[in-house]
Order: sequence, then structure tokens, then C-alpha cells
Amino acid sequence: MQLDAPIPGGNYTSDTRNYSWHRPPDLVDYDQAVDYLINKIDEPEQIEVVFAMLGIDAHITTVVTTILLQAVSKGKIGIDLAILVAGPLARYIEISAKDVGMKYELGIENKDRVIITPSLLKASLGIIEQDDEELEAPEEEAPLEEPTGSLMAMPADITAPQNEQDAMLGGETLEEEIPVEEAAVLEEELV
Amino acid sequence: MTFDDAIKKSIKVFLQGKMPSKTSELSPEGLFYTPEYFDTLEAELLDGPTESTKDKDAKDKESIDAA
Repeated sequence: MQLDAPIPGGNYTSDTRNYSWHRPPDLVDYDQAVDYLINKIDEPEQIEVVFAMLGIDAHITTVVTTILLQAVSKGKIGIDLAILVAGPLARYIEISAKDVGMKYELGIENKDRVIITPSLLKASLGIIEQDDEELEAPEEEAPLEEPTGSLMAMPADITAPQNEQDAMLGGETLEEEIPVEEAAVLEEELV
Repeated sequence: MTFDDAIKKSIKVFLQGKMPSKTSELSPEGLFYTPEYFDTLEAELLDGPTESTKDKDAKDKESIDAA
């Protein structure tokens, strides 16, 4: 029997120090982490990158996420502390952007959110008030023309062409269409 | 919830003036980087004197002292 599963105990054979986030982080204190990140942002190269990102209409949340993921991947802070210090970092970037007069967007507003109103709720639940029903009632449609014949009757506007009618009535066209063999048989029968 | 969603939520909560309560309890002196700290920093940075006005003020002061 072939099993598609990892070998039990296989995790003990690999080096758990391969990645920096597998080790304890360097900073575990909230204030120390914020201080480190603010100093990091204030570096000339880093602040250029931040302003360049804001210049291409990137949200502050995106910038913060990028900086924090970088710090986590380097093993500076843990992922839980990264989430906790996101607020101060975003606020600091916001202040820096205001200071240099740069346009920015935080990116925490949900613009696609549909505002729930009583009328929207009624519509979604299928509740229509009587007044609404009267207002929304469609105008009476003009009565359709009554059918002239039965369901299987031929439409009045469709008429067969004259030669077809002649053929159906046993005209010349029909006689010409009879194959030669059949005509011979008919003649024999008549005789 | 993804990491991005958690970051957005954290930022939103911080901007509302809320702080992580259990983290605050860890340090007896309280946290330094609070929403109030950033409000003060913003007021100082945005309303404070610019570099050019600082220089001008310093020159005026020097001239007054010399006189």
C-alpha cells in the first residue's frame, strides 16, 4: 500500500534554524519595536522608498505591510508584534506625508461597502409596501390583437406563390416532377 | 483573516485611539508610543517653525543681543 503522507518524525531531521522567523525575534517589546521601525523609516533610502510608494498611489496600509513583512522576514520582530505596531507605524508615515505635503490614502476605508438602508433591506427581503406597489405597478398593456383563427390555422399573411399553388392543385409543374419510371407504371395500370 | 486584513484592522483600531490593553499592562510605566504621543508629534511638526523661519529668528535674536 502506498501512502501519500509525510514520514513521521521527518521534521526532526531538518534544521529548524533555516529561516530567521523560526528563531526567537530580536525585539519583543512594543516600544522598542516601534522605535526601531521609526528609525528604520527615517533612513534616507527608506523614506525615499516610502514616498515613492505613496507617489504611485499606494495606500499607507500597503507600505506598512511591506515594512513589517520585511522586519518579520529578517527576524527583528515576531508576527504578532508586527500586527500590534502597525498602527503607530501607519500614523508616523501619515504624519511624515503631511509634513512634506504629499497626498496619501490610508486604505482602511471600505469604499465598495454597500450602505444598508431600510429600502435596500426591504428590497432584499422581497417586502414591498402597498404604496410602493401602487407606484411600481406597471401600466396596463394595450390588448393584443385577437387571433383570427385556431392555433393550427395558417397565418393570414403567408400565402404560397402561384406556381406552388398550381402544383398542389395538380397543375403542370406536378406532372413534370413525376419520375419516368413511375409514369410508366401509371400508364400500365391505366391500360 | 489574512495578514493584510489584520494590519488594516490594527491601524483602524489605533486611529480610533485604542491601545492593546494587555500589552500596556506588561510595562509598569505604560507605553510610550500612544495615539496621544503621535497627536503631539503631529502638532509640533506641522505647526512648528520651518528651517527658514528658524534661521531668521536666530539672526534676529543675534542682532538684538549685539545691540
